[in-house]
Amino acid sequence: MPEMKLEMQVNGRKVMRLADPGQRLLDFLRDELNLTGTKEGCGAGECGTCSVFVDGKLVKSCLMPVAKAQGAEIQTVEGLAKPGELEAIQKAFHKTGASQCGYCIPGMVMAATSVLREAPEASLDEIKERMGGNICRCTGYSKIIEAVALARDVVTGRASPAVLEPETVGESYIGHNVRRLDAPSKVTGRLKYAGDMVMPDMAHMAVLRSPHAHAEIVSIDTSEAEAMAGVACVITAADVPGTDGFGVFVHDQPVMARGKVRHVGEAVAAVAAEDAATARRALTKIKVEYRDLPGLFDPEDALKPGAPVIHDYAPDNMVKHIPIRKGDIEAGFAAADLILEEAFSTQQVEHAYLEPEAGIAYVDHDDVVTVISPSQNITHHRHMLAGILALPINKVRFIMSPVGGGFGGKEDMIYQGMLALAAMKTHRPVRLVFTREESIAASAKRHPSRVTYRMGLTRDGRITAIRFEMLSDGGAYGMSSEGVMRKAAILSCGPYEIENLWIDTRAVYTNNTPSGAFRTFGGMQAQFATESMMDIAAERLGLDPFEIRRRNMMRAGSLTHTQQRLTSASIDRVLEAAEQASRWEPGAPTMRGPMRGDLGGPGTRAPCTLGARFETPKDSKERVA
Amino acid sequence: MQRRMRGRGVAASWYGIARTATVDRAGAWAELDDGGTAKVVTGVTEIGEGILTVLAQIAAEELGIRPEDVTIGDNDTARSPEAAHAGATRQTYMIGNSVALACREARARLFAEIAAHWEVDAGALVAFDGELRAQGTNLAMTMAEAVDLCKRRGVVPVGAGHFTAHGTGLNPEDGSGAPWQAYVFGTQVAEVEVDTVTGEVQVLGLWAAHDVGRVINPRGVEGQIEGGVVQGLGQALMEDYQTANGHPVTHGFAKYILPTALDVPEITSILVEDRDPLSPLGAKGIGEPALVPTAPAIINAIHDAVGVRIRSLPATPEKVLAAIAEKQAREAAAAKAAE
Repeated sequence: MPEMKLEMQVNGRKVMRLADPGQRLLDFLRDELNLTGTKEGCGAGECGTCSVFVDGKLVKSCLMPVAKAQGAEIQTVEGLAKPGELEAIQKAFHKTGASQCGYCIPGMVMAATSVLREAPEASLDEIKERMGGNICRCTGYSKIIEAVALARDVVTGRASPAVLEPETVGESYIGHNVRRLDAPSKVTGRLKYAGDMVMPDMAHMAVLRSPHAHAEIVSIDTSEAEAMAGVACVITAADVPGTDGFGVFVHDQPVMARGKVRHVGEAVAAVAAEDAATARRALTKIKVEYRDLPGLFDPEDALKPGAPVIHDYAPDNMVKHIPIRKGDIEAGFAAADLILEEAFSTQQVEHAYLEPEAGIAYVDHDDVVTVISPSQNITHHRHMLAGILALPINKVRFIMSPVGGGFGGKEDMIYQGMLALAAMKTHRPVRLVFTREESIAASAKRHPSRVTYRMGLTRDGRITAIRFEMLSDGGAYGMSSEGVMRKAAILSCGPYEIENLWIDTRAVYTNNTPSGAFRTFGGMQAQFATESMMDIAAERLGLDPFEIRRRNMMRAGSLTHTQQRLTSASIDRVLEAAEQASRWEPGAPTMRGPMRGDLGGPGTRAPCTLGARFETPKDSKERVA
Repeated sequence: MQRRMRGRGVAASWYGIARTATVDRAGAWAELDDGGTAKVVTGVTEIGEGILTVLAQIAAEELGIRPEDVTIGDNDTARSPEAAHAGATRQTYMIGNSVALACREARARLFAEIAAHWEVDAGALVAFDGELRAQGTNLAMTMAEAVDLCKRRGVVPVGAGHFTAHGTGLNPEDGSGAPWQAYVFGTQVAEVEVDTVTGEVQVLGLWAAHDVGRVINPRGVEGQIEGGVVQGLGQALMEDYQTANGHPVTHGFAKYILPTALDVPEITSILVEDRDPLSPLGAKGIGEPALVPTAPAIINAIHDAVGVRIRSLPATPEKVLAAIAEKQAREAAAAKAAE
């Protein structure tokens, strides 16, 4: 690796290192200077988590070779405030609750600092535009924008610094806006996520992933990779000592592909080496011979007779079918004045947590195999890994590192097994950090769904019967499909008491990216269909959307779709609260928009028209276009 | 049709709290510590929802100290009791109640010693914000003094707690069963503007009313709602993970489009409290329920604005334009037929 003498000012101190000039400024800050407050979210300049100031200008450090920063003055999130102190913008983030998982927050704080420095009089719209290059997946941005506006007001003297102080407690800490205890560590970049952690003698892992959607593995030859200088070990399915399988419900997924690959991006082998670059180079020396198998890419095709079989245990490709039956569906439809038949579909959705998957594994002095990772279920992961490693359960330990966003996507144990195997094989700590592309290809998505819906109603809007059928693409592995189908079925027909129901939800195997747990676990897909049906019915019957919902809603004593007797149901209260807060003007949903009198009032923003503002704010150093 | 058309839509929703169709359980340990501080060991760490602050508030309330005096042990299978997974809208409900019960046991140990020292009934003791007193008397001391006294009497005030949610499995034939013991409900109203030339939809306002049982931290709940709404908005209008013959084609954030600060509506959260009668705290949850009604409320609002029904998510500009064109063609054909 070529080295160059690099000199720059970093957070006010002179820094000199002999280092690879081609590495990214981001890597130099994180790896050479251990300034891990600057995060990597995408490596492509899209998310803003790696934002730093270079000679006073906000820069995405993943896009800048370090040699370009030669002689420059760099400021990172660690350099904003003195240790133990917070700048006004950081206090404002703390006050408003602007940090959740915190992974995007150092970048957000830097972008917000840039707003305050360059356009201290910025309007809310300008703040949003200037923060538009930074992605957050947790907060919905609202409290971040609120924080920037609050800090702006303090910095410009329009508000007293006292507005940044905590609220005083009344008679109870329950119901009180206690400021988040973890916020100071997040707004200063001090919190260590798994990918920020280092251990002495740590090796770095890279993963070889399948380029095929469905293929038999004829052979794997790792000898050339293993012989490479700097390589600590190469692992494949052959290294698994115990029962190779994990999954939230069905243990159908091997730690690395065993015998065949079932989706593009599936792990096939992994290398641990002195550094990540050597590990990645070693991947190119692993020879895998594949024999293509016919693939399944549509859930309807998976159910056809003679369809390719993805898993031997499921010759019909069915991951899970959940039926729910209540009442007499025929009688219900016979009693209906109106029968609606519709079809709905929802797409596959990526979790897009800003922290890509990462972890460190090591074997401790008591031979306990320990995995540190942002796992959303260490209890279950410990169980599964003990079986995979054929170890007693107390010889496996999981530590949950701060999770930089999960939303269900970190419930699957898709890489912790590889880390454990490499740590056992080398007796060294081994770290793996996914790239964004790896994270997107290898992790589960929200189940896409296709729903066919039949709803019967009386003239006065009472639902007499529902036939609900949902087909979901589970992708290559079971992951959370079973639970997602169950929750989708239970919640399918919404918060309404319906006497006659016939519900089926099914997830099938295909060779697509696996679907798994994602915030709402199927509840969103199912209720999208139901709530669309409610409005379609309201339009046909000339009823106000709130009114048709009230006529069918659950109450205390109602029987749910699974025939559970409810002791309370707050649907009446939330309907009323939303109706009142939004000043809803009643009427049937018949393209009423052009006639409505309740539009554009309190609680709405002006539409965003990008490129429409050409004014330069007073006293601004920046010309805004 | 005018270029920019506005409309409103509503959607309701419901959700179950904690793991589905099974017995859910969690445990926690607590110790009132020197200086009137506390240690709580739970098996939980932050995934961003604010659980550590919520647990500190619960522990502070139960122990009579301040949230910043509470130290929460890390989530570690070898060092802390089972908390199981950080998901299923179960953290406040399962871990929150476990911590409350563990703290109550620790507090009872301390109160027994102080009551004996003061020669009063333990039921007369109240502690809040670092101060302990006996009601109906002038007796008072700080919690730091109380812990010191308790230990000098030979007692370390520790407690353990666990909480159970009694869900039952579903009958495999008809699906009958009681999958959860606590349910929440929500309703959202969306106001949108549709650009009939580009097909772009902007969400300008969103009102979200959610039952959370009992609010532990109002800003925290709002943050969950705002985040959920914007994820729902992303799914309604832009996000779309696509594969071609199994190959991901949206493999980075340049291809996989996410909402940014510019896409966000003004969000008004209305927190409704229908307390859970089956748990010590009465709180339920908000993490997942927050995003359930967002997409249908937006899609219903698009219909209100321009009279087209989007049945396939996301409602991309292309789909909205095609639906408007199809509607206009249908209306033109109907007008012609009527001539």
